[in-house]
Amino acid sequence: MSSSDTSSRRRAVHHEAEGLAATLPPLLVAAERVAATVAQGVHGRRRVGTGETFWQFRRYQGGDSAQMIDWRQSAKADPLYVRETEWEAAQSVWLWRDASPSMDYRSARSLPTKANRADLVTLALASLLLRASERVALLGTGMKPSSGRITLNRLAALIEGGQASTGSLPVGERLPRHARVILIGDFLVPLEDLRATVGALASRSLRGHLLQVLDPAEETLPFGGRVRFEGPEEEGDILFGRVESIRVDYREEMTRHHRGLEALARQVGWTFTTHRTDRPPQTPLLSLFLALSEIPDV
Amino acid sequence: MWTLGTLSFVAPWALTALIGLPVLWWLLRITPPAPRRLRFPPLRILLNLATREESAAKSPLWLLILRMTIAVLLIFAVADPLFNAVQGLRGQGPLVLVVDNGWASARDWPARQAMMSDLIDESSRAERAVVLMPTAPGPEGRFPAVDLLSADEARTRAEAIRPQPWPTDRAGVLESLRASAALAEAPAGDVVWLGDGLVEGDTYDFVSGLRMFGPLRVLREGPGHLVALLQPPVAEGDDLIASATRPNGRGDAEIWIRAYGDDGTLLARQSTRFEAGDLETALTLSLPSELRNRLARLEIEDQTTAGAVALLDERWRRRPVGLVTAERNADPQPLLSEFYYVHKALQPFTEVRRGPVEELLGRELAVIVIADMSPLSDADRERIAAWIGEGGVALRFAGPRLAEGAANTDPQALLPVMLRDGGRTLGGALSWQEPATLAPFEPASPFHGLAVPEDVTVERQVLALPSLDLAEKTWARLSDGTPLVTAEKSGRGWLILVHTMANSDWSNLPISGLFVDMLRRIVTLSQGAVASPDATPLPPVEVLDGFGRLGPAPADTLAISGDVFTETRVSAVNPPGYYGQEDARRALNLAPQLDELRPLPSMPSGVEVSGYDKAPELSLKPWLLAAAFLLALLDYIASLAMRGLLRFRPSVAAGAAILAVVLFNGAAQAQSLDQLGGDQFALEASLTTRLAFVASGDDDIDSVSRAGLHGLSVIVNRRTAVELGPPVGIDPETDELLFFPLLYWPVTEQGAPSPDAVARLREYLAAGGMILFDTRDPNGTVSMNALRGLADSLELPPLVPVDSEHVLTRSYYLMRDFPGRWTGSLLWVEQAGERINDGVSTVVAGSHDWAGAWAMDEYQRHMFAVVPGGERQREMAYRFGINLIMYALTGNYKADQVHLPAILERLGL
Repeated sequence: MSSSDTSSRRRAVHHEAEGLAATLPPLLVAAERVAATVAQGVHGRRRVGTGETFWQFRRYQGGDSAQMIDWRQSAKADPLYVRETEWEAAQSVWLWRDASPSMDYRSARSLPTKANRADLVTLALASLLLRASERVALLGTGMKPSSGRITLNRLAALIEGGQASTGSLPVGERLPRHARVILIGDFLVPLEDLRATVGALASRSLRGHLLQVLDPAEETLPFGGRVRFEGPEEEGDILFGRVESIRVDYREEMTRHHRGLEALARQVGWTFTTHRTDRPPQTPLLSLFLALSEIPDV
Repeated sequence: MWTLGTLSFVAPWALTALIGLPVLWWLLRITPPAPRRLRFPPLRILLNLATREESAAKSPLWLLILRMTIAVLLIFAVADPLFNAVQGLRGQGPLVLVVDNGWASARDWPARQAMMSDLIDESSRAERAVVLMPTAPGPEGRFPAVDLLSADEARTRAEAIRPQPWPTDRAGVLESLRASAALAEAPAGDVVWLGDGLVEGDTYDFVSGLRMFGPLRVLREGPGHLVALLQPPVAEGDDLIASATRPNGRGDAEIWIRAYGDDGTLLARQSTRFEAGDLETALTLSLPSELRNRLARLEIEDQTTAGAVALLDERWRRRPVGLVTAERNADPQPLLSEFYYVHKALQPFTEVRRGPVEELLGRELAVIVIADMSPLSDADRERIAAWIGEGGVALRFAGPRLAEGAANTDPQALLPVMLRDGGRTLGGALSWQEPATLAPFEPASPFHGLAVPEDVTVERQVLALPSLDLAEKTWARLSDGTPLVTAEKSGRGWLILVHTMANSDWSNLPISGLFVDMLRRIVTLSQGAVASPDATPLPPVEVLDGFGRLGPAPADTLAISGDVFTETRVSAVNPPGYYGQEDARRALNLAPQLDELRPLPSMPSGVEVSGYDKAPELSLKPWLLAAAFLLALLDYIASLAMRGLLRFRPSVAAGAAILAVVLFNGAAQAQSLDQLGGDQFALEASLTTRLAFVASGDDDIDSVSRAGLHGLSVIVNRRTAVELGPPVGIDPETDELLFFPLLYWPVTEQGAPSPDAVARLREYLAAGGMILFDTRDPNGTVSMNALRGLADSLELPPLVPVDSEHVLTRSYYLMRDFPGRWTGSLLWVEQAGERINDGVSTVVAGSHDWAGAWAMDEYQRHMFAVVPGGERQREMAYRFGINLIMYALTGNYKADQVHLPAILERLGL
């Protein structure tokens, strides 16, 4: 595939992501504690803090700066009033999607590759967040969280350019506390590796969400006959004379892996969702939307 | 070469590779098929399962068998097997190939050629020279030189050998072979005789002579495959008797004989049988004289030899009649001529010439007619007498000159009976008060069976002198017993005297229909054309080739002198065919010159005998290679499928199944309208306008009716705005008739229709239907009676002939008469105004066999010749058909006065 084809396909992903995001309202990330950044957002947090919108007047107390006194209000009555504004702060969300060779897989021509679907969901989510003026960054690229339409273009360019990390798991990066992390990938790695990565993030009070994207063939193993399986990431190969005979075992093994992932997410208070590429992308987007805005799952 | 039954191997050593098959089996068995390779991300999970499963290391059995089959096929293909290989070249010297290519070999010539080719191939494999000798001699009985040929030369020469239309000369071939120095020096080789299965010359001598050159193999036709011979027909009265012979009487066999006209049209096709044991069979061809005069060739179907073709010339065809006049040119006063009525009566079915005796007898002539005024010199009388002795028929008419007693006692008077002398005796005859009528013809008379009209009277006649044999010589009498026609056989011919004049001065016999019939009987009595031969050379016009096809004569064909024509032997310089001038040609036939056909006797011991029906040599190599290739393809597909690289598409199979179902349904729906019943019949018949014919139950008649209406529909669709569907045969007993504008009813001799059918037909006619009755034979009285019976039962109104004002003459084309296959009879319709029905006749009746003229086969070729013939008659027949359909569809529309001026203008009035 030539590079122009690649870029056009990815631009198509960008547009598709916008279209997908248009079906949902802007995503305002629920935050008890916003990431320890100084960046200011535009949306009120329904509590007093720095911001531009009026929130309430309160009596002047000792220790308040004189500059905080609202003279116009104070002149109407005896006490001195202090004008308080609503806290307007933006949450920072770090997105990561698996760009390893194992994601570049589809079992049928009618299906998108896993990487394609992961890119789509990532960009759609970013678009939703940016419309709510949240701050978004792509984990593993070293970019600072930022907001605004231009950020989406930067994200898309980063994904298109393949500048994001290509490992099966995010590399450790110093993230501010209380930020949000979204990890999208197939997570077909040993559970211990994943546990280490997630544990490191969770220990910094980061809350996160895992979205596993799988091809239907990876769940059901629909092949038959004599097959030599090869791993996409240099894991070696293996020959089966009759694939049918191991299908049941394979499914059991896959279910075990799922349970492991679920347990892992539950331990650190994260959420875990599975998505198959033969299902519509709205489903994982909606579940991430709900998880991020902390609306109880319906 | 190594032989196994009918199978031979050119390279048998290749079969040793079969020993290696078990090794191949073992190798194939332990080599498993290549696995399908698949990139699969969750490999780690699979790795956890790896220890539990062991892969299948062996190929499946069916694949193994498939591959072994491919190997075996390849090994056999390399061994180059031949099926039915020609074998048995035993000697060392050249292969002597003696090929019968006389007339009898043409029938199975391709088999002979294949055999020649096989034998030459065989000698080429054995690297032996070939001597190729055809047994039909060339000009002057010469044969090609005896050369030792290489296989390639022999092949070229073998292809050039053609069957010839003359007999073989085996003794001559043997002589040439014996005289050959090249053959005498060569070591003894093999001799193969490709015989035609018939005896010619001394077979024993020939066979023992051939055995001098090496072991002999004889190929001969099987007893059931021998050729038959068709002798030229012999005329017997109106009929032609053709006889066919065959060499042996084994089994009974049916042969079909076809009769063709000058222009190649098929005039008749009849079958005859050889009963078991019979060597000869005869076939009587009865053709109307019009058709018989056009007959040019008879042949046995499917024989394709010159012996199965009989060419006919004037001797069979025409019965030329000469009228003796003083001058050759026509009479200045035709109506007063004595020959006027004779000429009129003879013209339609014979060729009539006029002229002095000398000129008339110079050409072939069957009958000579002498009137009272005809000039006869003594030399003429002698000439005529001699000609009668050879088979001529002289017909004389009496008259005033004869009655005046001109030398009627003279033996040279050319009279069959002695006549009463002088005018006085005749004067008594003149004194009759009432003109005499004719008595019925006696059984011995050639006129027996002709109906005698009551209004034929004779006023004057010459009287015969009573004699002992007068009664025998009398062919016709008046009612008072006096002879009217007397005749005497003289040599092979007849001398006939009519005791009255040839014109209407003495009698009204010449203007009656009886006169025509009597003249016809007299003409058929004649032997055919009789001519005195002269020595004019007759150059070849067209000659037969070995397959019995006429074509231009080869350059070495010689002319034949006229006086020895009948003794001329058919040979290379005089092949059978037509000789003479284009307008007066004579046929030279092969069959009468051949001896009786006899099959070859059994061969002496030591001679190998076989037939031609042996299957030709067949190399199996290409077939084996093709099979191996197909199987290899199958193996490849199977391997792909096993590796999962092929996916079966059910949609393709479903599509094919649907297609098959649709096609089958289509075929099932395309059944004929005739077999439909009830509503379906009504729908089919009414959605398209169709012509219908009344099915007679006789397949021959029905097929002609169907073809005729088909042909008419084609023409109508082409020329008019009417769009007709395919015609349909109906049975008035059961089918609804109301849908059809016109019924064509070929009248047959079966009885009247049942009351049911009559009721339906009456209803049909009352509702505005129209029926065209066709008796199909202008002279047939039987079908006329059948039509009369039909008309009675249907209570048809009286019919009148179509007059020139009738709508039928102008409903589409302007027409005067209405020919079909025949012409000359009247067309009958209802009297105008007889019925309400707008004055449109519900019935049209005639006898011209219109369906025969309209009939077309599926390639739109006309099926029957029209008589007397010509494209104009055919065209007029179609025009009548179109007029009739227009009449049936539009009624009396064209009778409307509005169109009269335009019609008058076109008529030029």
